[in-house]
Amino acid sequence: MGQVLFVVWRESVEALLVIGILFTWIVGRPDSRRWLPYLWGGVGLGLAGAVALGMLILFAGEAMSESAQTLFQTVLMLLACALIVQMVVWMRRHGRTLKQEMHTALADEVGRSHGWGVLLLAAIAVAREGSETVVFLYGIGQHLVLFEFVLATVAGLALAGVTFVLLQLGGRYVSWRWFFRVTEILLLLLGAAMLMSAVDNLLSLDILPAIVDPLWDSSAFINDGTAMGGLVASFTGYRAYPALTSLLIYLAYWVLVLGLLRMPRATRTPVGA
Amino acid sequence: MFAALAAALVLLAMPAYADELHTVSLEMNDGKFVPARLEVPAGVKFKIVIRNVGKTAAEFESLPLRKEKVLAPGAESFVVVHPLRPGEYGFFDDFHQEAQGIVVAK
Repeated sequence: MGQVLFVVWRESVEALLVIGILFTWIVGRPDSRRWLPYLWGGVGLGLAGAVALGMLILFAGEAMSESAQTLFQTVLMLLACALIVQMVVWMRRHGRTLKQEMHTALADEVGRSHGWGVLLLAAIAVAREGSETVVFLYGIGQHLVLFEFVLATVAGLALAGVTFVLLQLGGRYVSWRWFFRVTEILLLLLGAAMLMSAVDNLLSLDILPAIVDPLWDSSAFINDGTAMGGLVASFTGYRAYPALTSLLIYLAYWVLVLGLLRMPRATRTPVGA
Repeated sequence: MFAALAAALVLLAMPAYADELHTVSLEMNDGKFVPARLEVPAGVKFKIVIRNVGKTAAEFESLPLRKEKVLAPGAESFVVVHPLRPGEYGFFDDFHQEAQGIVVAK
């Protein structure tokens, strides 16, 4: 439940950030009245797209047999993990210039008087965050009771609204930099946890070999067989009885993530290469 | 493609060993495990047949056993667990977190 809350919170803040940038820019223009419907239309379209994707994933999963379902969920967990890493790396590279980039894009659209461009810009931003939320939630929360799930989602949205307002107030209480730093770390940990759940599934389906199983027993330290220990595990990927395969994949994940984050922007080859 | 192939392989493999396994049963009843302690032989695969006799949904969850299974009220299912070294392995009901149980492998 905590994970659902966190994911909805963080993704909504990111979506709000984009909408906020678009909104303040449009409102600052003399002909803002003309452009605002396109913005809200775009937001609605993006949300609808995310919900449609959610339905598709849900029904695709339900139609399968149990082991096919496990495998389907595993594939989505891996996808969610890759998305998390991609998102964090993307925000690191573009976060600072996000506002500028969006303003340039907006100026282009308005210059050409294409309201549809504004709509598309908003729709893509919202659909992107929304569909990420959907994939993440399927990866972690499909076993939640519906009531808890709805509660966590609504709480996450409300919390996002509050956070966004606080951040907008000029960073008196929290700053964007701090927000992104902390949630980045939490997201990457969550990505690692999802990866470990996926590996667990692949191990029990005999798709991956365990090699040495278990490698050690640290249940006296934190016992992941209890509800409390399970919570730690579901946020970090911790295992009290890890297989060698799990450990190797866990280490590879962090090496890859740190490598991607350290790669300086300037040495990146241009898009399309 | 790979996913579909792997799924097919898993489906083929399942019934092959489902019959000859050492089997223990477990009942989940709205936050209670009966029994809360399952003894199994160490070093061999085994099967836990789980029945939810309660009025609410239950989720058998164990990270040490690498299993997660949701059961609607009245549902029966099973999990096949990989060979364990001697020791104690916890499990709990994710929908009623006060419910704790252990598998003891000897």
